[in-house]
Amino acid sequence: MKHITGVVLLMLTFALLAHADSNPTDAQVSGKCMTCHKEKSAGLYQQWFMSAHAMHKVTCIDCHGARQEDKDAFMHEGGLIATLVTPKDCGACHPKEQTEVENSYHAHAGEILESADAYLAHVAGGEPVAIMGCESCHGGKVEIDHNSPNRLSPKSWPNAGIGRLNPDGSKGSCNACHTRHSFSVAQARKPEACSKCHLGPDHPQKEVYEESKHGNAYYTHMDEMSIDSDRWIVGVDYFEAPTCATCHMSATIGTPVTHDVGRRISWTLRPPVSKFKDDWETKRADMKAVCNTCHSSTFADGHYYQLDALVKLYNEKFAKPATEIMRIVKERNLLESPASFGNKIEWVYWELWHHEGRRARHGAAMMGPDYTWWHGIYDVAQHFYFKLLPEARKINDPELNAYIDGLITDDPMHAWLSTPTGELKEKIRSGEIQEIYKALFE
Amino acid sequence: MFGRYLNFVRGVATNWWGRLGVILTTSSFVCMVVMELARLVGLITSSYAGLVSYMVFPALFILGLLLIPIGWRRLRKQTGKSSRELRESKFGKEFGVASFGGSRLFRTVAVLSVVNIVFLLIVSSRMFAFMDTAEFCGTACHSVMNPEWVTYQQSPHARVDCVQCHVGEGAEALVDSKLNGLWQIASVTFDLLERPIPTPVHQLRPARQTCEKCHWPDKFYGHRLKTITRYGHDSASIRLYTTLSLKVDAGTIQRRGGIHWHIAQENEVRYASVEDKREKIIWAEVLRPDGSYHRYTSTDDAAIGRDALSVRTMDCVDCHNRATHIYELPDRAIDDRIQKGVLDRSLPFLKREALHAVSAGYVSREAAMEGIANHIHGFYQRHYPDLARSRVMTLDSVITVLQGIYNRNIHPGMKIEWRTYPSHIGHVGEGGCFRCHNPRMVDENRSAISSDCALCHSMLSNGHDDPFQYLRPADTLSPDYQMHLYLQQEFMTSSKSNGP
Repeated sequence: MKHITGVVLLMLTFALLAHADSNPTDAQVSGKCMTCHKEKSAGLYQQWFMSAHAMHKVTCIDCHGARQEDKDAFMHEGGLIATLVTPKDCGACHPKEQTEVENSYHAHAGEILESADAYLAHVAGGEPVAIMGCESCHGGKVEIDHNSPNRLSPKSWPNAGIGRLNPDGSKGSCNACHTRHSFSVAQARKPEACSKCHLGPDHPQKEVYEESKHGNAYYTHMDEMSIDSDRWIVGVDYFEAPTCATCHMSATIGTPVTHDVGRRISWTLRPPVSKFKDDWETKRADMKAVCNTCHSSTFADGHYYQLDALVKLYNEKFAKPATEIMRIVKERNLLESPASFGNKIEWVYWELWHHEGRRARHGAAMMGPDYTWWHGIYDVAQHFYFKLLPEARKINDPELNAYIDGLITDDPMHAWLSTPTGELKEKIRSGEIQEIYKALFE
Repeated sequence: MFGRYLNFVRGVATNWWGRLGVILTTSSFVCMVVMELARLVGLITSSYAGLVSYMVFPALFILGLLLIPIGWRRLRKQTGKSSRELRESKFGKEFGVASFGGSRLFRTVAVLSVVNIVFLLIVSSRMFAFMDTAEFCGTACHSVMNPEWVTYQQSPHARVDCVQCHVGEGAEALVDSKLNGLWQIASVTFDLLERPIPTPVHQLRPARQTCEKCHWPDKFYGHRLKTITRYGHDSASIRLYTTLSLKVDAGTIQRRGGIHWHIAQENEVRYASVEDKREKIIWAEVLRPDGSYHRYTSTDDAAIGRDALSVRTMDCVDCHNRATHIYELPDRAIDDRIQKGVLDRSLPFLKREALHAVSAGYVSREAAMEGIANHIHGFYQRHYPDLARSRVMTLDSVITVLQGIYNRNIHPGMKIEWRTYPSHIGHVGEGGCFRCHNPRMVDENRSAISSDCALCHSMLSNGHDDPFQYLRPADTLSPDYQMHLYLQQEFMTSSKSNGP
């Protein structure tokens, strides 16, 4: 409570400072903006009018006012303004949030040009899809174009991607989550704020959440969760269900709110092979603190016990062998097309970890059983055995063949392929098969 | 004398052609005289009578006159006799005897011709006078012109005759308009006209010769206060004022003055529009003191690369395009009737429900009349059953007024719906002033034509229950506080700066 009051006081102080700083003609400038935009952007104006910004007299010019040295500044009806409002601008009043965002994984989402995702979009897709697909979520580099009415290149703006590379050097875009111009806390706290991007075949967080009991409880009780209250502490102001924000960002009785979304995540569930993150123990403890608001600590510990085993299963049984196969293929130059993604096996491998493998891991992490198995490990297994291995066999390289043969015969996790069904069923009943996976739980 | 006339008439009524001619000429003459007398003594007041007495009868009269010589010619052909032989057989020899001033026949024909000419002169002058009346324009082509006639009669120009704006002065304009009229008769008869009829912007006479006869640019000076009264969609249909102080100055030099700067003697503003419809602007330019033009070009997709079919120099009608044939917007029409006191807003949700009732899409006029009544009765019966019983008369009068609004503005036969003929005055949506005054109209330096609100008007109230909201002290707690201060200040200073 003390902490929240402190933040509010800090915000008010900054708001007052911003006002004290302004010159006497400000009411003339801001009043003029408001007059015209009330007519010409009536919806925008009303969103603002009902917002906390309006309550605190933060008007158009306070966010859109520019300085001469700003690269995107332009004159508009007698005022020097910029269309783009960057985290730096927001940080003038919200410095804590700015710092947290800057240090978050979100802020770096725009640096994807060197990634396989961006490569694929540019070669297999083409620039328009890179702009409207990838960069819409990840954020693009906003370029200056002096011929554009607002000095922003139309190829690079509109863009509200979360890791947008702004002309002022800042990274990110607050309105990726805090939709303009109402900047409603309720809207940012709801799962829909995240699901502009966190959904689909490659990372169906929204769908997993909807499948889970957490989502089920949220959609049942969404109107009873004080979601628009200033203070929003789980277990104090609401208790019915968690949203994405609850677990990943919002305050608990003992943990402050954070805008660093990765702060409570212990596994990297994104790459081909998952790893524990740096300082994962603290991060997991922070997440468990959220869980413990509604669950016993044994429950939370149990969840992580099961999750760790699942992630390791994916890693050991499929991800590492698949990655090894691709390493051999690349190292020995066994592919026909010289271009990455010019060969079928590369697409099979890609979907194995980037789509199916992530679905399994995210499904498990957020307790969505169907995504863990049918949309997850089931797809991984099928495509590993009946797409990836056959594609690799087709290459018919001695070293590659030797690796696959070894894997199938020597790795007890894959030995089932050459064992009769009856024998396997007996081993399941006796617990012999389960014994193979014992190490994953350690 | 009468006997001689009868004799003459018998003579020319040689066959069916001649007889028909005589009957038509004589009877239409008599009818016309009788009708004109009846009109003069006040027995006939219908404006439709003019159509018969000045158009139908004269036409029959001339037709009759034409039939007589035709009959005569046919008779000559049939009998194979010469004109003299026929004349002698028909009129008797003594009729053709030459004497002082010609034969008796010649004198009779001459006298009757003079009478005919004098009569036709009188009639045609009456006819032209009648064709100059608004009644003629509005009712002669009833089905086609009815929408324009209805809207004209309720407009500020209802006392100005159509021809004063639509037909010029002088013989040339007269001939033009009559030729145009012939084409209109043909297009109505053979159903060649477009529905809805396109606005005749190109045939209109120059405003300098029409509008400016009464409204000349020097008359526009200073500020003019305009209060727009609207009603809300809440249960009380709350009254909301928007008060504008319109800067209507014509201005005397470039970049000075107000709205009528566009048409001031010293200024010239020209533009080209997509398909010459004056709705989407391709470019607009203003004459600079050095004689060159400063051009702003639209960057709108709808305008880019479009050819300018013609260049239009702004005058009154580029903005006041609906000064007379005013089609209302449904919500404005309802606001107007509430303000006039003919719609009773003590009925809960009157504005909202009235708007629903008139603006729902109806397939025909009959369906609309029924639909409006059903909506109003239905709403109050469902939600306010007691009121529906106790205020039957009020509800009936609401229905009548709403049906009136519909009939005034919607004309299914002519495919005229809400917003078929947009008005360019002020701004609704992207239209009116905003056609040019928008950030997409840019010059070569990419600076745009100003769309600053205060360029054309100060704002003293904006949808508020106080018509002078912004002249009151500003509420420091309101989110609009800074806007309030700005508008107050703007009004004060703008009034000052327009003084000498």
